[in-house]
Amino acid sequence: MTGRIPVRLTVNETPYDVTVEPRRLLADVLREDCDLTGTKLGCEHGVCGSCTVLVDGEGVRSCLMFAVQCAGRDIRTVEGLTADGELHAFQEAISAEHGLQCGFCTAGFVMLVVGALQEDPTIAEDPERLDGLLASNLCRCTGYEGIRRAVLRVYGKDGTRQENGTAED
Amino acid sequence: MKPAPFDYTAPAELSDAVTALAERPETARVLAGGQSLVLEMHYRRERPALLVDINNVRELDTITADGDALRVGALARHRAFETPTVAPGALGRLLSRVSPLIAHPPVRARGTMAGSLAWANPVSEWCATAVALDAGIELTGPAGSRLVGAGEFFLGPFRTARQPDEILTSVRLPLLPGAETGTVGVGFCEQHRTHASFAQVAVVAVLTLRDGVIVEARLGLAGAADRPVRAHEAERHLVGREPEPDVFAQAAALAAAGADPLSEPHAGVEYRRHVIGVLVRRALVQAREDSESADFFSGAGRDGHDGWEAR
Amino acid sequence: MTGAGNYVGDLKVAGCLDAAFVRSTVAHGRLLAVDTSAAAEVDGVVGAWSAADLGDDLAFVPPFFPSAGGEDPRRCAALAVDRVRYVGEPLAVIVGTDRYVAEDGADAVRVDIDPLPALVDPGEAAASSTWLFDGVDNVATEMEFGTPIDDEVWQRAAVVVEGAYRQPRLAPTPMEPRAILAVPQPDGQLTVWVSHQAPHRLRRDLASALGLDAERIRVRVADSGGAFGTKSGTFAEYLSVVGLAVKLGRPVRWLEDRAETLSGSTHGRGQNQRVRLAADENGRMLALALEVDADVGAYPNTGFVAAETGQAAAGVYLTPNVHARIRVVVTNTTPTAPYRGAGRPEQVYAVERTVDLLARRLGMDPAELRRRNFIPPEAFPYHSPTGRVFDSGQYELALDKALELVDYTHWREEQQRRRRSGSERPLGIGLCSFTERSGLEQAPMANEWASVDVAPDGSVTARVGTCSTGQSHETVFPELVARTLGIPPGRVSLIEGDTDETAQGIGTFGSRSMQVGGAALHRAALELIEEARRRAGEPDARYADGTVITGQRSWTLAELAAASPEPLRAGGVYDTPAAFPFGTYVAVVEVDRELGNVRVLRLVAVDDCGVAVDPEIVEDQTRGGIVQGLGQALYEVMPYDDQGVPQADGLLGYLLPTIGELPPISLDTTVTPNPNTALGAKGAGEAGCIGTPPAIVNAVIDALGPQPAGTATDIGGMQLPLTPETCWLAAAGQEVAR
Repeated sequence: MTGRIPVRLTVNETPYDVTVEPRRLLADVLREDCDLTGTKLGCEHGVCGSCTVLVDGEGVRSCLMFAVQCAGRDIRTVEGLTADGELHAFQEAISAEHGLQCGFCTAGFVMLVVGALQEDPTIAEDPERLDGLLASNLCRCTGYEGIRRAVLRVYGKDGTRQENGTAED
Repeated sequence: MKPAPFDYTAPAELSDAVTALAERPETARVLAGGQSLVLEMHYRRERPALLVDINNVRELDTITADGDALRVGALARHRAFETPTVAPGALGRLLSRVSPLIAHPPVRARGTMAGSLAWANPVSEWCATAVALDAGIELTGPAGSRLVGAGEFFLGPFRTARQPDEILTSVRLPLLPGAETGTVGVGFCEQHRTHASFAQVAVVAVLTLRDGVIVEARLGLAGAADRPVRAHEAERHLVGREPEPDVFAQAAALAAAGADPLSEPHAGVEYRRHVIGVLVRRALVQAREDSESADFFSGAGRDGHDGWEAR
Repeated sequence: MTGAGNYVGDLKVAGCLDAAFVRSTVAHGRLLAVDTSAAAEVDGVVGAWSAADLGDDLAFVPPFFPSAGGEDPRRCAALAVDRVRYVGEPLAVIVGTDRYVAEDGADAVRVDIDPLPALVDPGEAAASSTWLFDGVDNVATEMEFGTPIDDEVWQRAAVVVEGAYRQPRLAPTPMEPRAILAVPQPDGQLTVWVSHQAPHRLRRDLASALGLDAERIRVRVADSGGAFGTKSGTFAEYLSVVGLAVKLGRPVRWLEDRAETLSGSTHGRGQNQRVRLAADENGRMLALALEVDADVGAYPNTGFVAAETGQAAAGVYLTPNVHARIRVVVTNTTPTAPYRGAGRPEQVYAVERTVDLLARRLGMDPAELRRRNFIPPEAFPYHSPTGRVFDSGQYELALDKALELVDYTHWREEQQRRRRSGSERPLGIGLCSFTERSGLEQAPMANEWASVDVAPDGSVTARVGTCSTGQSHETVFPELVARTLGIPPGRVSLIEGDTDETAQGIGTFGSRSMQVGGAALHRAALELIEEARRRAGEPDARYADGTVITGQRSWTLAELAAASPEPLRAGGVYDTPAAFPFGTYVAVVEVDRELGNVRVLRLVAVDDCGVAVDPEIVEDQTRGGIVQGLGQALYEVMPYDDQGVPQADGLLGYLLPTIGELPPISLDTTVTPNPNTALGAKGAGEAGCIGTPPAIVNAVIDALGPQPAGTATDIGGMQLPLTPETCWLAAAGQEVAR
């Protein structure tokens, strides 16, 4: 059906009933239909990573998935990290460590890091694996150093992850 | 960069997917990971009228040992191969060396090995791996399933022997036996410009050694032709010889000479041909070193199934 | 960070339409027909227009610098008329209920083009009998700086070296492409939300191009996802979007996509350079001649970028004879425009690569050669032979600090050790010493507007004509005002990028925000203190911590603001001349000769941007600039084929550095205050892009050496970017030469 298809998306544990054309990207449906504009579209071909969200816990490019593929899946966007106005520990860290300038890539990096480090915090202990993860996304402003420092601040050996519960959320 | 309109179906049964595809074979495409197809749809260079989404066909989401082969279902994602325990012995080591060089984690979370083969990008790492190993490629259509060898499957850039009404349902990767024939060592080298870019050239090397002599050699090349190829002449040169630097250099020169690479910006024919030689040599050195450590760790590391988890 | 940002694409406006453009896929040709009739029939499409469909409503892009004469023969229409001149040029605009259907409409437009020969290289275009514009040749402007150098000078010099370099076209690639949203109001007002660097100029241009009343246009810069110079123009697409919003009486937005922006936006750099440098036997520079063919692309709106390359020609060196000749040439490629550095990276590259060539020719250490030729600190203000006045500098100090930071002696020893061993990857060390102009010298733009207001509750509002596209103005400007007024930063809020809220403004480019905008805010804040004293009736009173104090009593700013209905305010337009930050960068690289891969082992940057108001934010800017410089050195180029077709339509073809390409970077600073402002700040933000590429290229050439003694030319050598293929060819060529 080129016609519109009803889909129930569960985003940040909230159900959204939308009726969309099959061709609509998950990113566009999140932004336009669910009003969750934190997820950005920077390249629409899977390279820049600004649109990274979690689907069933895994970081994926929401520009390379159609919304109709995501019925029944658990979708997490950057908006879901901010519980009761309180920032996720990594969001605080990325700000404190100057890991953003224009901010357009930030939500993608946040979801990339939170998704992967939640699953395997030891990534932060291996510089090569950490760079391998962070090389998934592009930033044109910061030169990346602040983003790396932010990961280490939260998830590194002396990081705040253990003390700060929000990073585990 | 928004896709053109299309119809969409996402059946839970393979038979339904086959039927859906068979109804409009010329204008339908199969959606698995979608990491290349959807990208091309954004540019509207791909404009399928129907997408048959196979992501709900659970039976395709498997990786199992099947006799002397690892059977990789069409929904097994790249990231499943990041750890050597995905397959026994040398095969697991090889796949876990290749996988981390494919794109990056978010793409590896969605993209599939079978999808890479069906897409048939001439610089695809999995395609080079498939030809190196003589993988069997299972195609399922209205008339049932057939198995095509990787050597016959790839016909050119983004062209394969898959008929429009067939779904690539699984890949059979032969396990790399050791004990009875010798010690197997694997190597993988790739030249790319940045972490975000495709390979310019990639080389898969598999050596079987017995009593210090190469008894079998497999070299799979990506970026050496309009499709993934074996370096047969180089392989023949290696067999019966000792894994010494001179022998590797000669094999590398044969592989480079036999290559017929395509030109692209930043990788002209001469440069690519040269890189093939360099990477063949380096991959062979890796394979020899891998066989030595496999030998050192003996049993389990070489060909045992210890630590291997089927999924 | 939280998803709460408001970029243009995030703004929700009821009934908003999306625009998409049909673009030329042919570089040069007669535009025979653009048939939009089928597009208008597509479901959801509201309308589709070619230039012909628009008729008299077709707008033309106002020139950056208005010319005195009549109609510009090379003017750029909002949609192409009769002729297409580059791949990516807008031919038709489609407006639909969303971007998907707008693209469906674009698909349905039929275009007929009769191809003409495409001119891709500026040197060839200058010589070609094929002209892009009827009646005028392809050289849009010629400029000279300094006086031509006598042949005698070259003949008498002990050594003369010569290099020929290509500055490739770069795609600036902010993470957010261009974005604009035009919202007509029922009362005839028009609000334009845009990701932009110079909102006041955009408003003026929109008004003049579309025949609107500027007073009724409000340009508001939303959160901006990066700019780097590429969002300072009044683009053809903006004229179409705003014009159609007015015509339709409906909100219309255009969110450029990545494929469009790579060839349809603007490119940076793009120069063919030839440099001659003469020196005496001790390495003292005698003469420098620079010839540039600057590729301005299809429409020559921005020749001033190349002027900077010429005016700065000799860089940091005391060279008695300097001459630069610049030709600005149109080609069948994407128009070029300022990109981070804008003319300075090109100049510094040409000179610094040639200085290393001279060092090799003389067998002299490149650091020592630079040291011998620097303009010494006591020579400032220095009047250069190209007519420039440099404000202040301590070039040797920055060089020494950089050499110490990188441990130059150690790396030279390591280089020798590797050369002796023969089996290890060769190592090279490259230097780049530079100065860059920040702010502008041109009188009408060497200023900025700023104001500071105090409300009766004591809150302070700072307004300034610059606007942030990721430079942290929202942090650093309030801090600066708070510090000047002696109050907590939390009490100061900043407004910029809104033409209704800021009386005027020049904008953010050329590293001018702190140097010029910051200085303006600083002076406005100081004037506010004077005003506060006047209000208190105590012009000689002490002022501290937000309070006017005499022996008897004191008044807080809040009290003074509350005491009168007249707002407590100071502000105006404040002049600030150009400044000249400087520095030295050092790169250490090793090269895999077999594959041509370059690995940067260390990158050291010592920058002097005068007094840094917020050193951390300056460091952030430097790091970001360095990584863009790294991209320029090793990865980035927009290649064109012979037909003028760009060979990259995405970020898999146009490669940006990821974190995986990042070398260890060490930063340090020297501080030589700007003598022309009380604040002492010079510009920051572009240095990383300027210092990094020559340092890396010099290091790679150094690694692949040693070259035969006496080599005096660097013509036909490696050109940017140093791809593995380029380096392999260079290394292989050397093998052959031996």
